[in-house]
Amino acid sequence: MPDGKYSPLKKMLVIACSLLSGGALFAIMALTFLDVAGRKLLDNSIPGSLELTELLMVIVIFAALPLVSMRGEHVLFDSFDNAITPRLLALQKALIHLLIAAALLALGWLMWQTGSQFVETGETTAQLKLPKAPFIYGMAVLCAISGLVHLYLMVRPPAELAEGEGAAL
Amino acid sequence: MTAALLGFAVIFALALLRIPLAFAMGGVGIVGMALTRGWDPALASTAQVVYETGFAYTLSVIPLFILMGNFVARAGLAQELFQAAYAFVGHKRGGLAHATVVACAGFGAICGSSIATAATMGKVAYPSMKELGYSDSLSMGVIAAGGTLGIMIPPSTIMVIYGIITETNIGKLFAAGVIPGLLSAVLMMGGIVLITARDPAHAPAGRHSSWTERWQALRGIWGVLLLVVVVLGGIYGGIFTATEGAGFGAAGAFLFALARRRLTWAILFEVLVESARTTAMLFTLLIAATLFANFVNFTSMPNDLKDLITHSGLSPVMIIVAMMLVYVVLGTVMEELTMVLLTIPLFFPIVTALGFDPVWFGVLIVMVVQIGLISPPVGMNMFVLNALLPGVGLGAIYRGCWPFVLVLVVMLGLLIAFPQLSLWLPGLMK
Repeated sequence: MPDGKYSPLKKMLVIACSLLSGGALFAIMALTFLDVAGRKLLDNSIPGSLELTELLMVIVIFAALPLVSMRGEHVLFDSFDNAITPRLLALQKALIHLLIAAALLALGWLMWQTGSQFVETGETTAQLKLPKAPFIYGMAVLCAISGLVHLYLMVRPPAELAEGEGAAL
Repeated sequence: MTAALLGFAVIFALALLRIPLAFAMGGVGIVGMALTRGWDPALASTAQVVYETGFAYTLSVIPLFILMGNFVARAGLAQELFQAAYAFVGHKRGGLAHATVVACAGFGAICGSSIATAATMGKVAYPSMKELGYSDSLSMGVIAAGGTLGIMIPPSTIMVIYGIITETNIGKLFAAGVIPGLLSAVLMMGGIVLITARDPAHAPAGRHSSWTERWQALRGIWGVLLLVVVVLGGIYGGIFTATEGAGFGAAGAFLFALARRRLTWAILFEVLVESARTTAMLFTLLIAATLFANFVNFTSMPNDLKDLITHSGLSPVMIIVAMMLVYVVLGTVMEELTMVLLTIPLFFPIVTALGFDPVWFGVLIVMVVQIGLISPPVGMNMFVLNALLPGVGLGAIYRGCWPFVLVLVVMLGLLIAFPQLSLWLPGLMK
């Protein structure tokens, strides 16, 4: 889909999520490389690199989630699509978007509750003492945003979806 | 037992209704848990699974290997690999087809994805084959089948996923894939010999290259060969963990693409985000598979199945053969990742109860996925080539793939009959 068709809000969401997830992935790569190189060659590792990787993984996964939803890249079984009429298929797709939206919003709510528990216990990472709660809240918000994306797709189904499940297999 | 079976049935039904697998599996896992143990424990364990899968250092191996493959794909290496392979085997009958298989095997040593291997090599090899008058069906069959080497020859995304779900050592799985991957390539080349003997007109031999030309062709790819040796050698040798090796490999591939001036900011951004998206999609599935497995493990099914199998009097190998038959048949119509994620919670406990090595079973799983990817009518390798080369019909692709499905089924038979093919190399590891 050309950029021109994106509404400003959608465009902003795509850019924000892309920057977050792509940037975090680059950071994990650089961190792992420098940590391993430092440990093997200079006998000097980066303190807390394991923890930082864990926190960055959360960003990679959950910030990319709205993008996966937007591009329809979740693995699904669509071999029977030609067996039913286009109108019925459109209705089916809309209902499924609603269902997924409900599931993701509920998951967002659940993770928000979990985040609040982390605030109460004040749990931090072991070495760098970084608080974990903001990351759990982040998971919650991004799950909810993905849910909203599915609500949007229910109302405005895209003409043609992306290539499918990417290069997973 | 009934509860778990009902769970499987519901997931199948939901998947057939076009609900994405992650949501079908996760939903059934949570609801199943809630109905058997109550909602509070179900929600608590759901939050815990999401949290633990997100904050997992070892799982960063997934995006890093994906990133490594994507960087190398963008570095424009495929052309050089193909040329190098052609310099060595091009003068034989069907030389371009042989070169394609060799180049796919080489590409598979950096890329953990079958679909990406087929797509990348398709762009490079198909125009050359077309020019020399190769039939579309032969070229398509070779590229689709060669692409599947991407997941057997390490690194391999599906091996990482299998390793995580079944808690099997990923380094050992990688080592186990080396010989089956190379042997598959040899068998495919044998298949090409047979096919081209019947129809030589459609597969003319190419020019003979001198040794000087061959060494020159190799110079274009030595950097990546070095990267493969360092990353995989490091993992086998116990110098790296799989995660460290993946990080090293991704950074090396990044520097490689940078040095070849193939990276603009736009391409770098695209590669990163594409890899992040694939990661997010896979983690959604991993979380869902874990939720479902937690439910299944809480039911009596794993034990019931073990009892059933041990008292059935069937020989263990026959049970494995039966499982593989199920996979080959399912693979023709099902998306392969779905097939594996759905069946592993059911089959894996049986396999271990029968005393088989999880590493060996992992290799068998990769092989049935390879077969599924190229067995008509539903297979991603065929679909991706169809989308990439609109001039070639799906019919020609189907016709071209059948002979290679047979080749891989023979390979599967060999892997079942001779477990050493898979287990010898990992056995040498510490």
